[in-house]
Amino acid sequence: MKKMLAVLAVSVLGLTACGETSNTAVPAVPGESKAATDVLANAPVAEAAAILPGSTMEKIKKRGELLVGGSLDAPLLSQQNPATGQVEGFDADLGKALAKYILGEPKVKIVNSASETREALLANGTVDVVFQTYTITEERAKQVAFAGPYYTSGLTIAVKKGTSGITKPEDLNGKKVLAGANTPAIPAIKKLAPQAEIITFGSDPECVQALKQDRGVAYVQDETLLIADAKKDPSLQIVTKPFTVDPYGIGLKHGDDQMKTFVNDWLGKIQGNGVWQGIWKNSIGTVVTGDAPQPPKIGSVPGS
Amino acid sequence: MSVILDHLPELWQGLVVTLQLTAASFLGAAVLGVVVTALRVSPVRVLRAIGTAYVETFQNLPLLVLLVLAVFGLPEIGIQADLLVTAIVVIAVYEAAYIGEALRSGVNAVSKGQGEAARAIGLTFTQSLRHVILPQALRTVVQPLGNIFIALTMNTALAGAVGVIDLTAAANRVNLVEAQPIPIFVGAGLAYALLAACAGFVTGRLEKKLVILR
Amino acid sequence: MSTMLFDEPGPRARRRMRVATVLGALATVALAVLAVRQFAANGQLDAARWQPYATWPMWRYLLTGLGSTALAAVVSAALAMAFGLALGLGRLSPRRWARVPAAGYVEVVRTVPALLLVYVVLFALPRYGLDLPLFWKLVVPLSVSHAASFAEIFRAGILSVERGQSEAGLAVGLTPGRTMRLIVLPQAARRVLPSIVSQSVGLLKDTSLGFVVSYTELLYSSKVLANYNGLLIQTYIVVALVYLVVNMSLSKLARTLEARRRAVLRRRTTRA
Repeated sequence: MKKMLAVLAVSVLGLTACGETSNTAVPAVPGESKAATDVLANAPVAEAAAILPGSTMEKIKKRGELLVGGSLDAPLLSQQNPATGQVEGFDADLGKALAKYILGEPKVKIVNSASETREALLANGTVDVVFQTYTITEERAKQVAFAGPYYTSGLTIAVKKGTSGITKPEDLNGKKVLAGANTPAIPAIKKLAPQAEIITFGSDPECVQALKQDRGVAYVQDETLLIADAKKDPSLQIVTKPFTVDPYGIGLKHGDDQMKTFVNDWLGKIQGNGVWQGIWKNSIGTVVTGDAPQPPKIGSVPGS
Repeated sequence: MSVILDHLPELWQGLVVTLQLTAASFLGAAVLGVVVTALRVSPVRVLRAIGTAYVETFQNLPLLVLLVLAVFGLPEIGIQADLLVTAIVVIAVYEAAYIGEALRSGVNAVSKGQGEAARAIGLTFTQSLRHVILPQALRTVVQPLGNIFIALTMNTALAGAVGVIDLTAAANRVNLVEAQPIPIFVGAGLAYALLAACAGFVTGRLEKKLVILR
Repeated sequence: MSTMLFDEPGPRARRRMRVATVLGALATVALAVLAVRQFAANGQLDAARWQPYATWPMWRYLLTGLGSTALAAVVSAALAMAFGLALGLGRLSPRRWARVPAAGYVEVVRTVPALLLVYVVLFALPRYGLDLPLFWKLVVPLSVSHAASFAEIFRAGILSVERGQSEAGLAVGLTPGRTMRLIVLPQAARRVLPSIVSQSVGLLKDTSLGFVVSYTELLYSSKVLANYNGLLIQTYIVVALVYLVVNMSLSKLARTLEARRRAVLRRRTTRA
């Protein structure tokens, strides 16, 4: 019996050890789609002097890999392509560009993180940076450092084509409204339309399907995602301009000023030489027509 | 603690939904479970096969998958119901497979002589099932049925994944706003434990009352 | 049992049964056809909507997810069984300090939804500095919750071993511990094997809570897939079939084990 238990214990340890590396993180090798590779080819590499001795940057360089906290299921931003295993999108490609800046090559490991645990992941060093629609707030800035903002987005409302009477968030009062579970849409709706009945589903396609099946009359979600949905499905219609302003920041370990300055410098550089715009074009720009928007001014938001 | 008091209306509403889900789906599951048992012991081979296929299918699919499939798939074949109703039906259908199995083992536990005696006095299949076998089978399965009831109560929490705001979903939402997980989740856990304790008490009393000493 | 509830059917009963069979089959087929036609009318059967699941990369992704499901299930099952055995023994122990906490654990945990435990690990523990890797965020609550069920299975198994067995063990001078280990447990383990397999099927089904944790097991993988290709219903149908095949094979295993045990028992009793 003792022997059996020992064997069991060892095999459990062995199993979990390999589970760790192969499942919680998705290794990303450079060279997914041609467009993304072209843009990354122009991405800058930091001068050796910028990698200060003893800094987080040096630690990353020694490791040879950037650990990024992100998602696998955020279309256009950070979505895993099942065919290649690659994580693609605006956030994901920015992560790769930052990795290239530090390492000379875009080697990243995306650690799939639930949004409630990002502060903890940064604090205990599981990830170096977080690229995950991480809205900068003063509340959060007490626990993490924010570089950026690198992008500004906002919530908007989609309805089935032909729905009338919904033109602003306040119109949602007394109606059934769909939202993604655990998304910022829930507190926003509660604030602007306290009488709305919020129905949540786990993912964007589920919310879209629910809207089409009349489970709710409106769907509140990030504008970019809704534009993508409306493009895929002509029966949807977006009825408002974004009614919130969510500046996305790059999450860093709290108090790491060296790294924050370093990342802000990098952000300035890629915005200056068109790499930021190229990455936008390859991801969000595939559904939003027109040129890349003016990136938000670095450090312009309280908390950044 | 004050978090729970501040959000008592939402949490109470969640508890009410959980109670509705539990009561309605257990009732549905009990009725369906009896039908499934009858199918599985029936003389017609096709009916027996249907009964077996039913149990095999629903015991081997995760409830979460069934819920998502039903909520989004059923409207595509023209059956659209309220989310709460859909969840109740799915949970009832799912748990009926377990109740069916429990009842069948109960039927098997009734001694052979009982069935033979029923037949000997000229009762038909339905009559002997209804008047002789099932009443005895039910007594032996009070405890397993109690366990299924507790499991069903726990399983209603999954309805939260398809937009029904039950107790667990309500607790989760309150936590999103208040960020005080310990009191909120412990409170919700206590409510479930209380429900289960009631079920345990009732089955205990029932068992004492119904038990046949052999 | 079922065979003695009705007589060997006569010619008329047989005719009626044939009619019932045909009618039942017809009704089933008609319902199925109606459902499929509606389904097709809504465009859900279009070849383009199913074509991705005829390609290898999608299946490779799903099978990777299935691998993670299996890994999570195996690790949780091992932990839950070890812990459950300890709890089951604790509950049967003559010592109060072991019996009371074990019984308390089983009775409380059995009545708390696994999803609620997942939320505790997901939201509550990180606030107290305990942020587990994703894999453990799924495995820990599953092990905690299923340990209670395994404890009950083991306890029932141990109790089902005739008292004479342990009395005999004690009589030949074995300590209570060795009697349990050498005589009672091996017999109990054999008896509860089918229940353990079916409980493990339940555990494997519960790994679908990875959907909530965002650990890339089968169901969460299908969420990522559906996000990528927008084919919600098709993806979940495919995944449901995968679960069905895997779990049915496991249940079949449980039945085979049970049948073999019965056969062995029968042989023993006839020999005696």
